[in-house]
Amino acid sequence: MKSLTLKNLQKTYFDPYSGTEVTAIRDVSLDVGPGEFVAIVGPSGCGKTTILNMVAGFLAPSGGEILVDSRPVHGPGPDRGVVFQSFALFPWKTVLDNVAFGPKMRGIGRPEREASAREFLELAGLSHAADRYPNELSGGMQQRVGVVRALANHPDVLLMDEPFASVDAQTRMTLQEELARIWQERRTTVLFITHDVAEAVFLANRVIVLSGGRVQTEIEIALPHPRSWDALMDDDGFKALSSQVLQQVRAA
Amino acid sequence: MSGALQFWNARVWAPYIRATARWPWLRSIVPFLPLIALWWAVAEAEFVPRAFLPGPVEVVASFFTLTYKGILPEYLSDSVTRLALGAAVGIAIGIPLGLLVGLNRTAHRALWPILLFFQAIGDIAWLPILLIWFGFGLTTMTLVIVYTVLFPIVLNTVLGVRSVPFDLHRAARSLGASPARVVWEVVLPGSLPNIMTGLRNGLGYGWRALIAAEIIVGTSGIGFLMFDARRAGSVVEILLGMIVLGVLWYIVDAWILAPIERATGERWGMVQRR
Repeated sequence: MKSLTLKNLQKTYFDPYSGTEVTAIRDVSLDVGPGEFVAIVGPSGCGKTTILNMVAGFLAPSGGEILVDSRPVHGPGPDRGVVFQSFALFPWKTVLDNVAFGPKMRGIGRPEREASAREFLELAGLSHAADRYPNELSGGMQQRVGVVRALANHPDVLLMDEPFASVDAQTRMTLQEELARIWQERRTTVLFITHDVAEAVFLANRVIVLSGGRVQTEIEIALPHPRSWDALMDDDGFKALSSQVLQQVRAA
Repeated sequence: MSGALQFWNARVWAPYIRATARWPWLRSIVPFLPLIALWWAVAEAEFVPRAFLPGPVEVVASFFTLTYKGILPEYLSDSVTRLALGAAVGIAIGIPLGLLVGLNRTAHRALWPILLFFQAIGDIAWLPILLIWFGFGLTTMTLVIVYTVLFPIVLNTVLGVRSVPFDLHRAARSLGASPARVVWEVVLPGSLPNIMTGLRNGLGYGWRALIAAEIIVGTSGIGFLMFDARRAGSVVEILLGMIVLGVLWYIVDAWILAPIERATGERWGMVQRR
């Protein structure tokens, strides 16, 4: 378990059409403790995905610093596993080979990486799909593979960019519960981006409301684990926290 | 009306489907039967003198004669070897060049206009100058084919490279792949459906360019066979050459290209199966 630190992070773009500098992230500082699950919510265009892309190393910050366990981040790396909204599975690889991709890149031999990939597939109830190609799976199944593929590479930090936004509502609730269970078991450090307030409150220990490229509020979510929708749907504490976050997002 | 349709479905279509399931090669033969029958009927009717339009029987006979004499096998293997050599060189240059131009912004800026410029100078438009530089021989013909095969492969590879979703690059990188491994593990398989399209076009154009080159350069090959037959006034052999061209392309497509496409892009869901 490793911590993630964002220090005075800034991002400005040059917009070639208007010929001006556009500020996406003004000044964001954030500490995600080891094993903590932090969700960032905010209206679209508030810069939440930009933050994740910088942490993942896909974008270079214009100012400030990103540290994984006090090591500065330069470019993408296997210490930060990413789960994409688009799933981003390799269509030409079977489910098993997708999950074994990270270990393969680390130079781990085929028998070993396939055995480990099968264990991870079992964790997500995907053993039966090991030899299928991604296009043969439903959206929900594909994203299960996406999560498992990131976890199988044993990242220090798991970065999730609206991972369940493109699956149907029922599947989404199941995936959220599965993620809550997996996090409970593994205590990976997670940075989770979403625009769905209920999702953020359901999953996270702490919710960050982002607005205009700044942290507007931080709200601790002291709900007990393990979390399930059956238990929380009508829970007063959950409802109160959700409406508190929602008000902040709407004020943003 | 519906009685005729029923008869067609029960007595013709269903048995045909069953037969092709058992003997798949029927699917390649049967569509040509009406065409051959029509040709035979037109030739038999002798609207034009027999020497201008011989029938299928004469052409098949000349196929056996020329095969027996060894001319057809030799010319055929000459043509196929030339195409294979040109295609191999074209692929060996085309795919790496396409990857470079597709991946590297500077290379794209520098080379793309040049590629478009030279693509416009059609294959055989090079023949006059190549004949002066290299004379009537294999070098000239190989260069024409390489040139013809190269552009469809390069341009389609560039298209393929650029069609690979950005998130796949990112996923590979954050799973620990180096930029070089991303090329091998992501860019190349991701652009394979486009590369196959380029290869299909390239080989098709190359095959036509080869025949044209053989007609002009003229020492051996199917193109030479046809042009030589014209000199002798043998329409039979011209028709034979034309049929050989079609059959050979059909074989390349059905036995080599289509199976590769079925096993890759279609299997992966990147290309829609029809």
